[in-house]
Amino acid sequence: MAKSTIYAGLEIGTQKICVVVGEAKRDGAIKILGVGQAPSRGVRKGEIVDFDKVQTCLNDALVRAEDRSDVMIRNVFLGVTGAHIESLNNRGCYRLPEDQNEITEDDVEESKEIARNVEIQQQNVFLHSITRQYIVDGQEAVRQPIGREARTLEADYHIIHGVRGRIQNAIRCVREIPLEVEDVVFNPIAAAQVVLNREAKQQGSLMLDFGAGTVDYVLYEDGMVTATGCIPLGGEHITQDIAQAFQIHHGRAERLKIAEGSTNYQDVRDGELIRVEDDNGLVIGEVERGFLNEVIYLRTEEILGQVRDRVQEHLGKLAAGVYLTGGVSLMKGIDATAREVFGLKVTRAGSASVSGVTATFENPIYSTPIGLIRYAQILDSEKPFLSPLARLGRRMADLINIV
Amino acid sequence: MVEYDRTQQREQAEKSGLKICVVGVGGAGSNVIDRITTDRTVDATLVAMQTDVRVLHNSISPKKLQLGIELMRGVGAGGDPDLGREAALYSKEQIREVLDGHDMIFISVGLGGGTGSGAAPVIAEIAKNTGATVLVFAAVPFNFEGRRRTTQAREALERLQKSADALILFENNRMGELLLPKEGIQKAFVLADTLISQSVRAVTNMLSAPGLVKLGLADLVSALRVTDGRCLFGFGEAKGQNRGTEALKRALKSPLINQGQLLQCAQNLLVHVVGGESLTITEVEVIMKQLGRHVPDDTQILFGLGVDPKLGESLSVTLISALSATQLASLSIEEAEELAPAPVERRAPRPAPAPKSPQTLELFASSNGNGVHSDEELETRPTVAMKAAVASVPPPPAELFKPSAPEPAPARVAKPTPAPEPLPEPVAEVEPEEVEVVYQRDADEEVEEEEVVAPVMNPRNRDEGIKLSQVIGLGTGKAATRATARLTQVVDEIELGTEPESPNTEANDAFEVTGHVELTPVLQAQPETAAIPIRRETTVRARTVEATPAARQPQPNKENEFFTPAVTTMQATPVAIAPATTTPAAEQQTFRLGQEDRGRFKDTEPAIVQGEDLDIPTWMRLRKKLKR
Repeated sequence: MAKSTIYAGLEIGTQKICVVVGEAKRDGAIKILGVGQAPSRGVRKGEIVDFDKVQTCLNDALVRAEDRSDVMIRNVFLGVTGAHIESLNNRGCYRLPEDQNEITEDDVEESKEIARNVEIQQQNVFLHSITRQYIVDGQEAVRQPIGREARTLEADYHIIHGVRGRIQNAIRCVREIPLEVEDVVFNPIAAAQVVLNREAKQQGSLMLDFGAGTVDYVLYEDGMVTATGCIPLGGEHITQDIAQAFQIHHGRAERLKIAEGSTNYQDVRDGELIRVEDDNGLVIGEVERGFLNEVIYLRTEEILGQVRDRVQEHLGKLAAGVYLTGGVSLMKGIDATAREVFGLKVTRAGSASVSGVTATFENPIYSTPIGLIRYAQILDSEKPFLSPLARLGRRMADLINIV
Repeated sequence: MVEYDRTQQREQAEKSGLKICVVGVGGAGSNVIDRITTDRTVDATLVAMQTDVRVLHNSISPKKLQLGIELMRGVGAGGDPDLGREAALYSKEQIREVLDGHDMIFISVGLGGGTGSGAAPVIAEIAKNTGATVLVFAAVPFNFEGRRRTTQAREALERLQKSADALILFENNRMGELLLPKEGIQKAFVLADTLISQSVRAVTNMLSAPGLVKLGLADLVSALRVTDGRCLFGFGEAKGQNRGTEALKRALKSPLINQGQLLQCAQNLLVHVVGGESLTITEVEVIMKQLGRHVPDDTQILFGLGVDPKLGESLSVTLISALSATQLASLSIEEAEELAPAPVERRAPRPAPAPKSPQTLELFASSNGNGVHSDEELETRPTVAMKAAVASVPPPPAELFKPSAPEPAPARVAKPTPAPEPLPEPVAEVEPEEVEVVYQRDADEEVEEEEVVAPVMNPRNRDEGIKLSQVIGLGTGKAATRATARLTQVVDEIELGTEPESPNTEANDAFEVTGHVELTPVLQAQPETAAIPIRRETTVRARTVEATPAARQPQPNKENEFFTPAVTTMQATPVAIAPATTTPAAEQQTFRLGQEDRGRFKDTEPAIVQGEDLDIPTWMRLRKKLKR
């Protein structure tokens, strides 16, 4: 009988705060027990700006999640994002001692240590360091170097770091609920675990989590994380553009965007109008569909363009194309726009491969919190792929000590 | 005029013998004199003036003068400026004797104490009366010296301002603070002295040494012209390879400049490069280029270049500028992003340089009358000097000392003299700002009044085939009324704006209505109106060409023509709006619009990519690009 563990994933998003409770079975399956969700206030561009409001909303979401799942939540995996998070790839080269020619575990550790020892800004802290591959005597893409005969061993790492204070803020906010933060995860890393399957990672793919406040991306090349990042632009920007273009307030612009918005403005019949209704269903105005779509298109294209600018050099190797997830990926026409921007196959995807109330969770807006469960599971089972992710206790201790 | 020319001729002849006197008043002053004496760098008469005979004894100054022998009996003023003043008045004759016959008198003084604050103004006045140019180097006391000393210093400053041609202020606080929080206090004072002596030397050299590109007193004054200004001074000298870079580096290292950071806000910067005979033009070019990185584009750089054989292989760079005290305080810590608004705020006081500039002009006038020196001023800024001279022809000295002579100021403003001419700049900069302001209004309204969609659907207009957005534009406003002066412009704008589209009757109706004050807000919404066609065309074009943002910038003539009306109105209205403007002028470089345009993101960290604030609606930025 496989032992199962229950995890809770918490994403404090710009649009919504979402707590997902899931059961991870030893055999790798995940069963979602319940989801609690509350609209988010006091978050801008993926970062907390108003503690009190966030905590109120978070409590809300938490209570709902506990209700639905019938689980008492004490520990959560916290997803963070924000423009301050950066990534880089680094290699650590370790030369084996003269009298030894077989790679041992110690050597691997040593090379990892060297690779992880990167200069980052002083106020930054490491969020993840993910092994991409080992290079043994110049031979690339070695997964398992131990036991090989070699002279030099290089560990190739993908390192994600962010500003300590800002990450700490999110943690503090959650701690005050009180909830214990088990680990802090960069959102797209979590989301990619459920959005991208092994094949997509292997062939090379770019996952975009197009959220309300930020666009987070992960790029996989040959099964290795090659680039990650966060662009502080998102659905809210689209909404704001609409609000300012039509001089309507934010809420109405948001509704208009969700109900009618599309990036396809060229095929719109000239002069086609959309009715804008108030809360009582009375028509209070009309807007031109072509104009609305154009405003949306310009912004969407710009945001995607920003992502493209950052991953330009890797675009050639993405056989599996672009995977779009997150709330904005539900918008009409965005796949076409993304195809236009990246020139690659575009797939809209929610999370796959979980059981439970599946219908709900294929929705791309839950990719990240479900991904957090998956991430927890991977971390727990210590798959070689994610094993180097620093242990929870150590990282937390680090954070605490430093602050 | 003929007479005037002759004067100049005569002065040219005796130019080589420009006589300089450096006076150190009080304890701090004589310390500076000591330093200058030991350095032996300035070719000048050095005089230490003190009330305390013991201090005076310790001084190594070649000339010493004990103030108020009878009154004080060799005891210090004890921190009482009245005593100090009395003492100086007692020794009036001796002081005049010492100072007489010099063309240029530097007074270095530490303000706050008795002798310094009390005697220095008297000495400055006497110096002034001898007909020399008077420059005062004053050190403002450390904060910890107490409020009383600070007040005394301030009072003394006010007095000094009346008789000094230029006042170069050093804030001890800054020097101490920046340089040596841990070092001994003695070192702090010594350093302050060193800095002052260095600047005395630099200024003397600058004013007296022959120059290829000459900097005169006028330039110095305009570099320092800031209300309640504190001097930013940097001096560096270096030899050998890379001496230009090295010298500049050292100059920027000066604590008063704070690694060049403070220069970011300076409006005038005086740069004087002096080298031996081996000075090359490339070196100068390199220095200026590097300096350019520390200085915003709109800063007025007063450049001087001199060759001094005495320097031999070395090269020296002097940077002089001033920032107002308040600005210094606010800037020294939080520099960063808010740099942009600063220049705008600062610009305000400048056109009417409070009490200082009239004085300086008086000065020129009087010095001309007296026939002393002043040739370098004449060289560098003929127009101003001429004006001043003309002004000074009829009046006797009494007129010259009137605190505010009205005519010099206009002269300065109107004539584009080689001396810094601040006025054209601000005007130029208001124009782009203007655009922002209009947008801001939009954003404001959008926040305050929620329901604006309603008027949009005016079926009448739609039938006529007017662009929907134009209808929005016409219908949106309900907020504040604008100055009637703008109304006509508004009308113009609409006329011009709509004609190419569809010159129909509806539009004309709109114009008539616009005649009333209530509808003025049309102007606010106008940008929206203008926006649509641009976006239409550009985006389509962009798509056909390429999808990159850069490619969206094509500016076909047709569009330009179409939009000129809007632009011109923007330019025409600055006066009406200028007072309300608080937004940074920096959007010259970046496409940053006002904070308000950032809508919900206004309190967040801006997402700036290649100088564009991406939080501002894409369409808004695109339009802005097109307009330029």
